Amino acid sequence: MSNTSVTLPGAIAGDRAGQPATAARRRRVALSSLIGLLLPLAILGAWEIASHLHWVSKVFLPTPERTVASFFDLLFNEGFYFDLIASLSIVGQAFFYGTALGLLLGAGAGMSKVIERVFGPTLDGIRHIPPIAWLPLVVLWAGVGPLGKVIVISKVVFFPVFLNTLQGIRNVPQKYVDLAKVLTLTRWQFTRRIIIPGALPSILVGIRYGASLAWALVVVAEGLSGMKGIGFLIFRAQALLMTDQLLVCMVVIGLIGFLIDYGMRRLEGRLLRWKQGFEGH
Amino acid sequence: MPQSIETKPAGQRGQLDLRHVSKTYDVDGRTLQVLRDVNLMVEPGEFISIVGASGCGKSTLLRLIIGLDADYQGHILLDDRPISGTSLARGIVFQDPCLLPWLTLQDNVALALASVPLSEREKTDLVRTHIELVGLTGFERAYPHQLSGGMAQRAAIARGLVTRPEILLLDEPLGALDALTRMRLQDELLRIWETEKITMILVTHDVEEAIYLGDRIVVMQANPGRISRDINVELPPVRQRTDAAFIALRQEVLADMGALSQSDRGGPARLRRVS
Repeated sequence: MSNTSVTLPGAIAGDRAGQPATAARRRRVALSSLIGLLLPLAILGAWEIASHLHWVSKVFLPTPERTVASFFDLLFNEGFYFDLIASLSIVGQAFFYGTALGLLLGAGAGMSKVIERVFGPTLDGIRHIPPIAWLPLVVLWAGVGPLGKVIVISKVVFFPVFLNTLQGIRNVPQKYVDLAKVLTLTRWQFTRRIIIPGALPSILVGIRYGASLAWALVVVAEGLSGMKGIGFLIFRAQALLMTDQLLVCMVVIGLIGFLIDYGMRRLEGRLLRWKQGFEGH
Repeated sequence: MPQSIETKPAGQRGQLDLRHVSKTYDVDGRTLQVLRDVNLMVEPGEFISIVGASGCGKSTLLRLIIGLDADYQGHILLDDRPISGTSLARGIVFQDPCLLPWLTLQDNVALALASVPLSEREKTDLVRTHIELVGLTGFERAYPHQLSGGMAQRAAIARGLVTRPEILLLDEPLGALDALTRMRLQDELLRIWETEKITMILVTHDVEEAIYLGDRIVVMQANPGRISRDINVELPPVRQRTDAAFIALRQEVLADMGALSQSDRGGPARLRRVS
């Protein structure tokens, strides 16, 4: 029993409440997030100077103030929400269907070689035709409305989820499979206690990647077909030389993409609390 | 102790009988014999050590006994009944502690009871007493990455014992630990063996460890893997590594393993035999 007196720093307390943050540590964290703001502020400053000193023509680079004004104009006078909601709804639906199908088929193919052989070649074929090449045909069939876009973007979400689920399951170490046999776990216990948590890190990578692809792609899909959504707005702004609106759309797209990824990272952090990897110096 | 899973009294169960066990692998069309005609009788409650150089098939033998590999010739009987597949009557501790990183220590130990028909209360009690047995009380909620190598191996031992197996197989369980932790855990293993009174089979390549822990030493040789000697250890229960008899036995076993060069053999008796 000689080892019982050995205490691990943070082993128990850290499990319950996270690392106790000291004041110094908190200050350091605050400082390091400020560092991240330096570059955007510098770019904003350069933008201010470049536009006010007319280094670039106003048509191509409106001032930041003009752009902010344009944002409120879009919001209050041009029903910007409706476009935003239209885009988000497409992404939401496509993300849901793509993830669900990817998890289902990925789990099936991961657990069974037969299922993998049945679906593998077909899916590989579909995968190698890029989404933009699918769009014309799908629009022809499903129209310029949201349905066609949901289909194409579902496909984009499906593949990373499917492939990472399959890979995640196959990469569960053999020693855990042996352990499950030694402990005489049932198939269901084996799946729930070993396969799912073992594959989860990889699955979450797939879902996160799928979500960011979906958001990027909705902009393109809306730009190519239909009369609604933030993608439509940004291409219209370009055609009408409304650079201020174009910039507003770019910033909003970037912010939403950032928020989606942030949400996914939070989810990942929660689900993979047990995981410890290198987090950088 | 809460109720045990098997009703048979301890001390009578846990007899392992290997009869003419052989195993071959096919490698590129050629047949490779890993085990040839292994015969071994392990009495209930015995602690036996199997030593041998790497490649002598000692770990393969454990895989057959635990039931992970059914592709062999011969018979393996536990309490006169042939084994089939894995069973909770046979527990194992691997060299790699093999704790699931997503489960806390107590959940890792409890996982062994997943298919045991006991109430949650009884399971919790069993898990608690076995974590206590290996001296890890206070770390129940720690995740594996927060444990040291020695602690992880203790947890694996607790998981191996929590189902109250008749026989516990130890596949080089201390092989990856530093010397100090290793010696400590050897004493722990002895204490646990005395408390639990179950049959233990330890596979190791460390001769000193084999003698320190075993009632009997089985020496294996490679190509093909076979038992070359079976030695009863006639030393007092608490062994001194520096004892003359201990050292003599160690030299003898090492010589059996073919590990000693001519100059190491020493002693007039051996010199006479060589010449």
